[in-house]
Amino acid sequence: MITVQVEPDGKTVEMHKVRTVIAMLNRLELRHTMALIIRDGELLTPDERLLHGDHLLVRKVTSAG
Amino acid sequence: MKCKRCKAKAVVSLPSHNTAFCKDCYPLFFTRQVETAIRRQKMFTHEERILVALSGGKDSLALMLELSLQGYDVTGLHIDLAIPRSSEKARAKVEAFCELHGLKLQVLEVANEGLPIPAIKKHINRPVCSVCGKIKRHYFNRIAREGGYDALATGHNLDDEAARLFANTLRWDAGYLSDQGPTLPAEEGFVRKVKPLYRLSEFETANYAFLKGIEIHSDPCPYSGGASFTNHKHLLGELEYKSPGSKFSFYEGFLKKGRPAFAMLNKEEGDEVSPCGECGSPTSLDLCGVCRIRTALKEKMAEAE
Repeated sequence: MITVQVEPDGKTVEMHKVRTVIAMLNRLELRHTMALIIRDGELLTPDERLLHGDHLLVRKVTSAG
Repeated sequence: MKCKRCKAKAVVSLPSHNTAFCKDCYPLFFTRQVETAIRRQKMFTHEERILVALSGGKDSLALMLELSLQGYDVTGLHIDLAIPRSSEKARAKVEAFCELHGLKLQVLEVANEGLPIPAIKKHINRPVCSVCGKIKRHYFNRIAREGGYDALATGHNLDDEAARLFANTLRWDAGYLSDQGPTLPAEEGFVRKVKPLYRLSEFETANYAFLKGIEIHSDPCPYSGGASFTNHKHLLGELEYKSPGSKFSFYEGFLKKGRPAFAMLNKEEGDEVSPCGECGSPTSLDLCGVCRIRTALKEKMAEAE
């Protein structure tokens, strides 16, 4: 299981059986250039593998005005 | 995924450029894009004074930092809109950023100018985002002109520009299509306006801001719900996903082939401008739009009391 915090929405979701960043983004219905993916203060590319217990920060980049 | 430049582990993947960079090489890519924009669009030189509009978001702060690192003479301008639970946070981020990097900053409070945005939202029967934008553009130009700056730089990126072009094209708005571009030369009371981030997407600017450790104000404006540009950005984002590079081609193609034609059309139809009787800003009427809003607001507030 991984925990994903989505900003600026302020929601946190738990995901099971998600093994890569791109799979996690697909679950959130986001394209990879729509958000920064951060784990332990480091940026991740879409091909990066995820590990059980990972805490990810998904920071959407589109400014809303 | 490996960095295209040094083969270290990549942290940013860019499908539109068919490349990826590590955390050390990515800022270099960003710098090159800004340098190319400034050079190709003849934006400004190292001898000129640049006023940079700072909202507190990733784009404006990234622009300010990058221009200062490239050795340009930059001063920040933040406009405090007096919106509760939003403006004070944005202002604090801008002030902290400028202090941290030793950058010059000027702050204008719209409430002191008789134009607090919450009162405008309450009393003026027009879309608040449109009026707020008009007020900000007015003071950007006025402060740049009165301060003797050579150019006003804003953090508009490729997504902003492509979405605006898309919206203008949907309406075939010849007036806006004639003067949309990364460099608008100074003329008739208007200071030169430049957009050095126009070659970079929001994603690319966000990555730069993160890697440079910039603390940004990311809360959406409480008054901006459902802004049409957000939908246009989403549509163009889907197009970009299916056809990487299409956003840049759309915008660059317009600059080369579309804008010159619309500029010629507008030259024949454009209104004449003269100084506003109240504040001296350029306008096609006796009073500029912002002075008319201030007067209307004063009257509406007096009626409400």
